[in-house]
Amino acid sequence: MTQPPYRWHSKITPWVFIIPTVIGLLVFRLIPIVSSLYLSFTDWNLLSSPVFINMENYQELLSSEDFLGIVLNTFQFSLIYVVGSIVCGLALAVLINVRIKGIAFFRSAIYLPVVTSAVAVGIIWNWMLGPTYGLVNNLIEAIGLTPPYWLGDTRLALNTVASVQVWKMSGYYMIIFLAGLQGINRDTLESARVDGANAFQSFFRITLPMLMPTLFFVLTITIIDSFKNFELIYAMTKGGPQNASNTLVYDVYLNAFVYYRVGYASAIAYILLIFVGLMTIFNFYIKKHLVQSLD
Amino acid sequence: MKKLLMVLVVLLTLGLLFAAGRTETKAETEAIELEWWTWDPDMLEQNQQIISAFEEANPGVKINNTIVGTKEYWTKIRIQANQNKLPDVFTMSSGYIEEWAKAGLLYNLDAFIESDDTFDNFYQSIFDSSREISNTDSYYAIPFALVTTVLYYNKDAFDAAGVAYPTDDWTWDDFRKAAKQLTLDKNGDGKTDQWGHWFYGRYAHIEPWVYANNGKLIDKNTMQFNPDKNAMDAIKMLCDLVLVDKVAPPQKDMTSFQQQDVFSQGVAAMWVDGSWFVDTLRKNVGDDMRWGIARVPSGPSGPSGLTYGWPDSYAIAPNTKHPETAWKFAKYVAGEGISLDVYMAGKIPSAKKLAEDPLFADPSQQPGEEMNLLIEQANGPMTTSYTMGWSEWRGYGGSESLGLNGTIDAIINGHMGFDEAFKKGTENINAVLKRYYK
Amino acid sequence: MKQKQADRYRLLLIALVAIIYIFPFLWMLSNSFMSEKNIFSVPPKFIPDLLFTDQVLDNYKEVFTQYNFGRYTINSLWVYTLAAFGQIVVCSLAGFALSTMQFRGKALIFSLLIFTLMIPVQVTIIPEYYLFLKLNWMDTYLPLIVPSFLAGAFGTFMLKEFFSQVPRPLFDAGIIDGVNAYQMFARIYLPQATSPLATLFIIAFMNNWNDLLRPMLYISSRDLYTVTIALSQFQNQYGVKWNLLLAGSVLSVLPLLVIFAFSQRYIIESTMSSGIKG
Repeated sequence: MTQPPYRWHSKITPWVFIIPTVIGLLVFRLIPIVSSLYLSFTDWNLLSSPVFINMENYQELLSSEDFLGIVLNTFQFSLIYVVGSIVCGLALAVLINVRIKGIAFFRSAIYLPVVTSAVAVGIIWNWMLGPTYGLVNNLIEAIGLTPPYWLGDTRLALNTVASVQVWKMSGYYMIIFLAGLQGINRDTLESARVDGANAFQSFFRITLPMLMPTLFFVLTITIIDSFKNFELIYAMTKGGPQNASNTLVYDVYLNAFVYYRVGYASAIAYILLIFVGLMTIFNFYIKKHLVQSLD
Repeated sequence: MKKLLMVLVVLLTLGLLFAAGRTETKAETEAIELEWWTWDPDMLEQNQQIISAFEEANPGVKINNTIVGTKEYWTKIRIQANQNKLPDVFTMSSGYIEEWAKAGLLYNLDAFIESDDTFDNFYQSIFDSSREISNTDSYYAIPFALVTTVLYYNKDAFDAAGVAYPTDDWTWDDFRKAAKQLTLDKNGDGKTDQWGHWFYGRYAHIEPWVYANNGKLIDKNTMQFNPDKNAMDAIKMLCDLVLVDKVAPPQKDMTSFQQQDVFSQGVAAMWVDGSWFVDTLRKNVGDDMRWGIARVPSGPSGPSGLTYGWPDSYAIAPNTKHPETAWKFAKYVAGEGISLDVYMAGKIPSAKKLAEDPLFADPSQQPGEEMNLLIEQANGPMTTSYTMGWSEWRGYGGSESLGLNGTIDAIINGHMGFDEAFKKGTENINAVLKRYYK
Repeated sequence: MKQKQADRYRLLLIALVAIIYIFPFLWMLSNSFMSEKNIFSVPPKFIPDLLFTDQVLDNYKEVFTQYNFGRYTINSLWVYTLAAFGQIVVCSLAGFALSTMQFRGKALIFSLLIFTLMIPVQVTIIPEYYLFLKLNWMDTYLPLIVPSFLAGAFGTFMLKEFFSQVPRPLFDAGIIDGVNAYQMFARIYLPQATSPLATLFIIAFMNNWNDLLRPMLYISSRDLYTVTIALSQFQNQYGVKWNLLLAGSVLSVLPLLVIFAFSQRYIIESTMSSGIKG
């Protein structure tokens, strides 16, 4: 339904409805965000009052070579997560989209990691990917190949953690894609099949275009979720080896809660915020140009 | 609709009432109330018993114990400090004493100690160690325990390989020889199943060797990271165990182990770490494996007798309303009013009567008489590498993959050469230190 | 017949995939029946040593009796049910206003909502902590519940989309009947929304259940602990009690799993009808 073209209510009414949201936004989002901005120009170890130091935090950040690596890691993690989640989520949904008895069990099985705590997931995968006694490496050795150091190799650590995060959350996106698939008009698919289209053709020419709104929704939330990687990194690698799996979010934690450099941590957080803002713009650009309007 | 609204309102009210927690009843008596913050959740009941005993002996005093989980303790207590609402008595770790003392957040105890019989009941050496770590001229903390570092060795593995147990005179050569004999491929599959020794960049794995060789990591005059030759020799010796002698595994091979399991599961025959692991080993290993403790072997610079050890302490809030009572209570919980079973085995009580208790070296539990080594260490000279900003430059806990910890790991994992790694590591470490010591 | 064969292959593939997803949990489950000494032992023991003994439930017993897990589970249930309830109230109100009403600043509020949704909690947690400190809400459940009664980005987004899909004739009928906005909301739109509301309730509940940071920072009294704090109790500076941590983790997953298993078809159908299909 398109919005009513006229105002059918008094001027104040919408505000009554929206006032909790506005208060919530202000008090629990905007005020902390503005405070963090202020803090990023200070030096604060939580013991005494914040000391205003101007741009020093940002100068330190921008001249740090480690920091550049961390920013790139954050990009890389997000990329792997977004692409991986969309591909896995969609593939799983297509696979699971059948009416067989007991399919609900399999859906629950795939959803299980979503509701398991990141700490437990990290512990288990850490063990399974262990160099000498881990299950995965033992299987690889059994077929005669040399297994890599999944978490100990600087080149692999980040990708490994990102992949575990994709594994953990793919059930969640599967459910969303499943919902989208249910909404695809059966008749169109049926007539396509009658016309002789095979599975591939009907998927790419009919299903996928009709899934665009769902795809956009999943794209939006995977971008949002790609930054929530703190707990898994803490459980698996603690940012190591040597910053190889350190992302902006973990670095904020390190600086705020381990080194107690809250001002510096806030500066890192603000770089993260700019990053997020860019992603938001990128996201809406895609919506505008590639997805048909929902309204 | 109205009904629904009513239900909503009732639910909401109930919910908010429940959420507001319990109401506090303020006692209107003249009672002295002290806040006591600790960080070990296991101690809940024991703490209550201790409190009851103290309250009985001191009528009119009420103690409230707040236990904060270890991970959040420091953040929360820092915020308390910031608000000038520090608890009267709270746990203070050696890593932060300097920073807090210099920020004026710890009660200066000199006056109490001078006019009191403190050193009749407590070991002065442990108090002095705390003062030295604070890098000030005053006493700011009341130690309740001392922890040191020792060499753990697997007696069964030694026996099986026919190697003599470590002694106080062991040198690095003796150690390396033993490690070689204890590194075994038990099932002939080309992979080492038992390592002679194992370590990674962790502070408790590295520093003991540095100090056993009379080495220094920090130049106290410039407060810069400037390890001397003795220190570098020690670290090089350790790295060579992995890279040259192949009697210790690289860190990346051990990522799936919880660090204290490597020794207790027999994967390494020797291990250097904190003395508090005596407790863990007693619980996890029991009598399944025979093990012992020994001094960390001394290096080519000769026996130093120097131990890497530090106290765990309590501190008093600088603006406490009841300093005398707080002091009395702090001494009580630091040793005067507690029993030996409060302590993790392997921690040395700072109270004389507890350390001298025959059960400290309980012969019915491992390592038996060897526990007396800890008393010897407590009576001898001790040192640490603690500075302000220590966890950042050393690499500890959440930052374990970085700092000096990460540097050493990079060397033994083969990511970087020794000199290259130390050059880069030193730069980074000094950048951190400069921030704290201008 | 080709279809049946294809179906069989499909089922096989699904089963294989499901194993990859469920195997780690099975391992966790199996280890929760092991004594502390044998967990993570090397070489790994696959059959839990307590499984065929009288002590098979020892870890679980210890978690309940010594660590009061039952009480903490109830705490979590209470707190997060309330918070999820708050979400459906506030998001339906906001979603309704955003989808059917006109007012200045509508687009701004919506964009800000989406934008702030993206910010990870570490960025704002210290100012947030200070705020609650000043409000004197420390050691209560208020910091965990009240924000959920005020704003919810995901829920508002979802309900806005849903309400936009409500057929025009229903709206017009309401106008003709002369209802005001509150009646339009409560009598016409809200009854349509039972599906997405239930979905939102479940999702909000699940998202909060595993949160560790906020309960850790705001709760200190033992009686008020939530499940996540309870789990972190098994870790201290000297090591982790794996056997208890894994048993506790299994227990903490069960309520969510049960909720999901019973409501998944529901969630799928209602996610579908909330306008995501387009």
